[in-house]
Amino acid sequence: MSPDQIRFLSLVRREVNRFMKIKRQTLGAPLLETFLYISVFGAALGSRIDKLHGVDYVVYIIPGLIMMAWVTNAFANSSSSLMQQKFQRSIDDQLSSPASPMELLLGFSLGGFLRGGIVAIVTFIVSSLLVDLPVRHPGLLIVTFILIGFFFSQLGVLIGLRAEQFDDVAFAQTFILQPLIFLGGIFYSITLLPEPFRTLSQLNPIYYMISLVRYGFLGFSSTNIALSFLFLTIVTGVLFAFNYRLFKRGYKLRA
Amino acid sequence: MTANALQITDLRKSYDTGVEALKGVSLEIKPGEFFGLLGPNGAGKSTLIHCSTGLAQPTSGQIEIFGHDAIDHYKEARMAVGLAPQDLNLDWFLTLEESLDYHGGYFGMPKKERKERTAELLETFSLSEKRHERTRTLSGGMKRRLILARALMHRPPLLILDEPTAGVDVELRLELWHYCQKINEEGTTILLTTHYLEEAEQLCSRIAFINEGEIVASGTNAEVAERFGTSSLEDAYLELVGRKELSRAKVESEDEL
Repeated sequence: MSPDQIRFLSLVRREVNRFMKIKRQTLGAPLLETFLYISVFGAALGSRIDKLHGVDYVVYIIPGLIMMAWVTNAFANSSSSLMQQKFQRSIDDQLSSPASPMELLLGFSLGGFLRGGIVAIVTFIVSSLLVDLPVRHPGLLIVTFILIGFFFSQLGVLIGLRAEQFDDVAFAQTFILQPLIFLGGIFYSITLLPEPFRTLSQLNPIYYMISLVRYGFLGFSSTNIALSFLFLTIVTGVLFAFNYRLFKRGYKLRA
Repeated sequence: MTANALQITDLRKSYDTGVEALKGVSLEIKPGEFFGLLGPNGAGKSTLIHCSTGLAQPTSGQIEIFGHDAIDHYKEARMAVGLAPQDLNLDWFLTLEESLDYHGGYFGMPKKERKERTAELLETFSLSEKRHERTRTLSGGMKRRLILARALMHRPPLLILDEPTAGVDVELRLELWHYCQKINEEGTTILLTTHYLEEAEQLCSRIAFINEGEIVASGTNAEVAERFGTSSLEDAYLELVGRKELSRAKVESEDEL
């Protein structure tokens, strides 16, 4: 292995090690939360709700819940890990090493990506055992999940980088991300909403992500799939490029 | 001609707040030297170190470490430096062993080498028994030793110690002094910043005084004292900060009266 590969792997290993050490909080809690959603909204309430687009309500919401698990954990890990290391100043150990801005950025974001991925995959496996969950377009689904996970781990890096107090990350998570996820159509079909909420929902970027994921699993979609995928690819690319610029400048990292 | 271990030319650093921390500092440290950088709080010592190690970005000027430009060839430059910062900036989540292992990884050391070096350093600094414990459980003195071990992990030819003995007991201070003298004799160049003038007198072959972002004197201890027309480094320092009434010689002669 070359010194560059060793360095990059060490950066990623450190991030994975961090969340594995507190796995009750980083893996256990989100898994429990997801299954509570499935139990309450799917099994308990779902039996009293009509089929949506021809599928049982519990099956309808599971793709969104799997996505939510990946999104929230990717975001939470990247933002809190970066913020904590900044506050402890332990980040100086990486910053004074020969690591390039790209290596640092990928190192910080892959931890979140992998944590989200683990929670999402476990959720998928267990859900598949509980209900008959189809996977209509596996190729598209995998690429979509990778892009979504990467986008939100990058978003977490951005928020963690900008954070000057613990509140800043909690604020973004509770007051921006969570409402956007909930209003993006995880628990309902946007087509059921009256105006102007239906149009307003279309301004929510997460709506298009959920639509892609639901298409990948269930085979139907309320948005144009090609355009949604293009949109997701572009916003992920733009955010990554933006973060890379900040890391290159040393924004809030190097005085 | 061998490149200097550290060559700083006309280094300026202004922070966003408008504070001009370094106002055209030039400094050279030759390979094998034990160099002391002295000055009051806020003089620019840490800023100079941060600019040399990538933690701060110079506004202008040039820094070369063993001939490698610290900005344009930062990888080579940083490979040559080990930094023991003033803050005890250890990651609370990591064990002692992991702290050293990841550091070695960031510097591209293969696994086997990291393992051996980690064991060797933990033994040297009497930390072996704690190797599986998280860093937050360590006492202040142990943290200080671990910070030094981490800086030495990748065997840097230039070691930068930013106030390494601040707040440590006499025993540990002497231990650290002996260790630093030993590795200096073995060839490691050392840049030390300190508030303790006796530390500089004891350890350093050359020193520089920095005040308000400028180097105001440099040379051997005797040369610097002479530059201020005093008989000791301490009196020279008091001259520098404008507090010569605190001179021990003056206080003692007044006591005799």
